[in-house]
Amino acid sequence: MTLDTRAEAGTGPASAAWPIRLDGVSVTYPNGTAALRDVSLTIEAGEMVSVVGLSGSGKSTLIRTLNGLVPVTSGTVTVGPHTVTGLSGRRLRQVRGHVGMIFQGFNLATRVDVYRNTLVGRFAQAGALRGFLGVPTAHDRDVTLAALDMVGMLDKVWTRAGSLSGGQQQRVAIARALSQEPSIMLADEPVASLDPPTAHAVMGELERINADHHLTVLVNLHLMDLARQYTHRMIGLRGGEVVYDGPAAEATEADFEQIYGRRIRPQDRLGGRT
Amino acid sequence: MTPGTTAEPATRSELPPRPRTWPRRTLIVSALAAFTVATCLPAIGGVEIDLGAIAQNWRRGAANLSALLQPNWAFVPRTVQPMLETLQMAFVGAAIAAALSVPLTLWAARPTNPHTPSRLAVRAVINVIRAVPDLVWATILVAMVGVGALPGLLTLVLFDVGIVVKLVSEAIDSADHPYLEAARAGGATQHQMNRGLALPQNLPLFANQWLYALELNVRISAILGIVGAGGIGRLLDERFGFFAYGDVSVIILEILVVVLIIEAASHLLRRRLA
Ligand SMILES: Nc1ncnc2c1ncn2[C@@H]1O[C@H](COP(=O)(O)OP(=O)(O)O)[C@@H](O)[C@H]1O
Ligand SMILES: [Mg+2]
Repeated sequence: MTLDTRAEAGTGPASAAWPIRLDGVSVTYPNGTAALRDVSLTIEAGEMVSVVGLSGSGKSTLIRTLNGLVPVTSGTVTVGPHTVTGLSGRRLRQVRGHVGMIFQGFNLATRVDVYRNTLVGRFAQAGALRGFLGVPTAHDRDVTLAALDMVGMLDKVWTRAGSLSGGQQQRVAIARALSQEPSIMLADEPVASLDPPTAHAVMGELERINADHHLTVLVNLHLMDLARQYTHRMIGLRGGEVVYDGPAAEATEADFEQIYGRRIRPQDRLGGRT
Repeated sequence: MTPGTTAEPATRSELPPRPRTWPRRTLIVSALAAFTVATCLPAIGGVEIDLGAIAQNWRRGAANLSALLQPNWAFVPRTVQPMLETLQMAFVGAAIAAALSVPLTLWAARPTNPHTPSRLAVRAVINVIRAVPDLVWATILVAMVGVGALPGLLTLVLFDVGIVVKLVSEAIDSADHPYLEAARAGGATQHQMNRGLALPQNLPLFANQWLYALELNVRISAILGIVGAGGIGRLLDERFGFFAYGDVSVIILEILVVVLIIEAASHLLRRRLA
């Protein structure tokens, strides 16, 4: 791949990509569910990685430990220069400001316009007084509008988010994450609520973010063909454990059957773009 | 499956047993019935409904009723000033309550205030305010700040804050707010999330209750004067004292018309908000 040339061209906008490290990370929820068991892995800055597994395998839990939305029970999580484990309050919010995240359900305020939804990406950068008063700077405004332009949603800037189509909403959510000028982009099943053509368009957008902005991209997927087509490295999760870690394009059906713990079914593929 | 059972339709799957709800329902209905009967038993100090007294007072009631049916239109000019005071109390009270209700509601709902002690404290205060009937508030406040429009205004503010905070915070509690999770993941403070997203997203809920509070205010402020809290109610009380039923009739008709107009206007506005 072109990882090396990209690293050289790394004069991208704003921030540089961050590596991700998990050391012996386990997560047990208060109700006793062990969602992650002793997961250790390293993702280099600028990699495009998918996490694949069946529903309940721990994909969301894994991605949420990276920005501290889920606290780890044991082990340590490191993003860039920061150890996430044990952070709280202002320090945790600062780290989160460098980590963009998009969600399966888009997570936009549906009655609020696209502009104000996207501006949320600037919140972590606001000083105490501006943050309290909710007054963005001219720079915040520029970054927000540029992010919307990047995903082709600038013409909808004053539209209520709830009146957009699913694909458009996910683009706005990507713009919200981009306006953070992040060093890592996390995506938790970003296309699971979209129809196949829109799903491919959104995956293409993530691919472009990785290529053009030199961001580390970690995307949860449950469909094998999307992982193969759009990501370079694939991590397979099963029952909270890493059962595969290797190149995505060359992953065989046998590899997927091992990750899924069953035979391949038609619904494990999205189809569409070949 | 033994061959003997193949006479049954083989595809019919097992119907799950219907949950038994009737013992619970019977218990609740009979408890309510028993309580209602008990409140009417004089032996335990229950409500006494003296049908004889109603019959005896009928003659006098009929005479008063016929006086009420002859409104003294000449009295109308004297009602203008008190009616304006009533409307002023209603509108200013609703406006002050609307302003106060925003922070209190956001502090009283879990999604906008995850800090449990402060949330419970705000809820406790609101519940105490709501537990005291409006006329009791008015009486207490008249005793504290003196006769006039001020105690009426304060009563309405307390009453409205109680209604709006309770209803809107419960509506916020019972809904999903995925956009808050996205903002949290991006490093926003709770205050930034509430101000930038939760408030605009839930503004229609607020506006609906603010208008409803205004409707109730016009109705309540019309009688607050009876305990000395200003407005048209004071005049109503005074004319009653002089047995001037023609004047009373004018006042009642006027209250009726004003309440209907405000309700119609509010209804129209609320339909446009929805
Ligand atoms: N908040 C939670 N509380 C308790 N159990 C949870 C919670 N979130 C997820 N789980 C459980 O943890 C396991 C992993 O879930 P998740 O990380 O959401 O998997 P995936 O994203 O791969 O579907 C599942 O068994 C799930 O039921
Ligand atoms: Mg998930």
